Amino acid sequence: MKKGLILWVLVTAVAFAAGAYLGRSSKQDLKISSSTGGASYSGGFKAEGNADANPAGAIRSVAGPAPTNVVVVKDGESIQAAIKAATAGTIVRVMPGTYHETVYVDKDDIRIIGVIEQGRRAVLDGQKKLNDAILYSGNNFVAENLEIRNYKGNGIMGQAGNNFEIRNNVIVDSGVYGIFPQLGQNGIVEHNVVSKIADAAIYIGMSDNILVAHNDVFDSVAGIEIENSRHAIVEHNYVHNNTGGLLAFVTPGLPIKDTVDVIFRNNFVIGNNHPNFGAPGSTVAGIPAGTGILVMAADDVVIEGNIISDNKVAGIIITDHAHASNITADPESDPNSDRVKILDNVMLRNGYDTINEAKALLLAEAKVGARNLDIVRVGPSPGSCIINRHQYVTVGVGDFAECDFTNTAATVNYLLPPVPPREIKPGERGKVVYLGICTGCHTYNGRMIGPPVQVIQALYMDNPQGLADYIAKPTKKRDDYPEMPPQDYLDPETRLAVAQYMLQVTN
Amino acid sequence: MNAMHQHQQITASFYLMLIRPFWGTALTLGTLWLMCSSTCFADDGEKLFAPCVACHGNKGEGNAALHAPAIAGQDAAYIERQLHNFRSRRRGADGSDALGAQMQAAATALGDDAAVAKIASYIAKLPRTFNAKPASGNLHNGNNLYQGKCGACHGGKAEGNPALQAPRLAGLDAAYIQRQFAHFRDGVRGVDPKDTPGRQMAMMAKTVATDRDLEDIIAFIHQQGRPK
Repeated sequence: MKKGLILWVLVTAVAFAAGAYLGRSSKQDLKISSSTGGASYSGGFKAEGNADANPAGAIRSVAGPAPTNVVVVKDGESIQAAIKAATAGTIVRVMPGTYHETVYVDKDDIRIIGVIEQGRRAVLDGQKKLNDAILYSGNNFVAENLEIRNYKGNGIMGQAGNNFEIRNNVIVDSGVYGIFPQLGQNGIVEHNVVSKIADAAIYIGMSDNILVAHNDVFDSVAGIEIENSRHAIVEHNYVHNNTGGLLAFVTPGLPIKDTVDVIFRNNFVIGNNHPNFGAPGSTVAGIPAGTGILVMAADDVVIEGNIISDNKVAGIIITDHAHASNITADPESDPNSDRVKILDNVMLRNGYDTINEAKALLLAEAKVGARNLDIVRVGPSPGSCIINRHQYVTVGVGDFAECDFTNTAATVNYLLPPVPPREIKPGERGKVVYLGICTGCHTYNGRMIGPPVQVIQALYMDNPQGLADYIAKPTKKRDDYPEMPPQDYLDPETRLAVAQYMLQVTN
Repeated sequence: MNAMHQHQQITASFYLMLIRPFWGTALTLGTLWLMCSSTCFADDGEKLFAPCVACHGNKGEGNAALHAPAIAGQDAAYIERQLHNFRSRRRGADGSDALGAQMQAAATALGDDAAVAKIASYIAKLPRTFNAKPASGNLHNGNNLYQGKCGACHGGKAEGNPALQAPRLAGLDAAYIQRQFAHFRDGVRGVDPKDTPGRQMAMMAKTVATDRDLEDIIAFIHQQGRPK
């Protein structure tokens, strides 16, 4: 059993390839398109109410006007103490120095802005003892200019906060997720340098209207991951030496069931061949080392203008849940990658040392001498299209249509003016905490980071208080799973509410 | 502040003086007990194990023909718990579980709780065996389902996890796993209110959709922990 590979089921593969081979015309016409002209992709998001207006405009800020109230935290002082004392609507300016703490932000309009003096930053250092550097649940949150190191859980994690901006931060070796907005709408993640993360360096989870741009992401298992999210643009990032570079996923068993409308454009996706160091058996451990872009069960993913080179398995892999490793299907999620759109990309030297399963596919399509492999597709991918397909070494894209547009220039971004906070109805506290926090690591029926919710339900079936007590002060019980971070910042009633909610969810 | 600190120190060393003489005694007793546990208990264990070999084999390697699972090297706490479950009719009492009834009789023949503990610790120390016949299935599906449903308690390699009271599954024969799985699923095993781990397993057993899926999971388990 080879670990870390996407295992194509050989029988399926051969059957599928044979079909593709038989259906192939003997002579392929070259259909050459120029992406400097022609129709443009109009995107999949329309702002409500004003269909005429371009929703994007030139929005590069989503958190609203900056507060005027400013407090300064100096080396030796506590950022958390300053935030505790601050009213909603405060800029917390953090001077260069080293801060060993976890910062919780549950108020709106808080901005944590590091001050950089001649290259010296405000450094949050978890010393491999603390789990998280910053956890925010407030809306209109901004984190800038910080350096975050040596945490075990998350660098910056959002928990249901809307209108966030996370920029200009350096995040190194800080657990499973570097930057992880969860369940947020309208957010920007830009100009961050993120490395050495054991799962996803930048993980957009169950969020909408997102821009991830100009980040330098490397030495991690997954570079930039758009998961169970809608309307996201990932552009101008430099994504190199990860196990997999850019990923658009549906992780089964999460409360949000789809990933729709993701544009990967103008990124550098280079040499993502890092050995996979994700926890064995976890979802990311199934990513083959050498994957440039991976699309799994996500719909309407546009791939345009990227330079994709030197990824040893393939430049682009398009797959479904059935073919992926460490994935348990979710009956409520469409397992296929529908309507993938591959526009012009520069692809060089990909697939030079690909996996046996992909070699078998190449063989089955009679591409015997192929030294490279740019695009692989397995599993159904209905409604997909491509332009200039003759440029690439491909398997499984023979039945892709010709796209009726050549670029995404008309779609500037999907950002919005500040949106209202997520509405939390009375009695829904447990649900919101489950969605905003728990599902960052626990899916219903599969192994993401922590054990599946189904298993937790069996373990604590009639004992919600036991679960509530455990999450306040978890102990390590599984050698091959990361340690769970304590959730003792939640009050006892909230912990019990989320435990009760978790024990009765059905998917 | 200083005086207080000093006082604490004095109190602490005073206690240490009081305790120290007892350490020697405790250590000696501990050593004796340790020596005994590796010799006297093992002898007892071996004697107690004698009736088991007829079905489970003289190395505890199991005998699929007699429907007896491999038990060598299984977690001691798990064996002890199951023997108690048999003895207290939490397991093997259902009319449909004739094999369980056999084991229940055997477990009841053990003298007392001390004997149960001794035999469990003896079995746990036996070298693990891998006699199970190959189990075939779709390993890709088996891996995915195993990781999603089983691995969180039984370990990523089916090695078991005492912290979660989950036994080792690697090395068990397919028919045994299948039979126990059906028992959990169908309310034969893991129904007694006091059998919490059993009830946990029963709840998970109900989530495996098809026999085919179970076969694939068992095929995956079969691959685990085998000597290369």
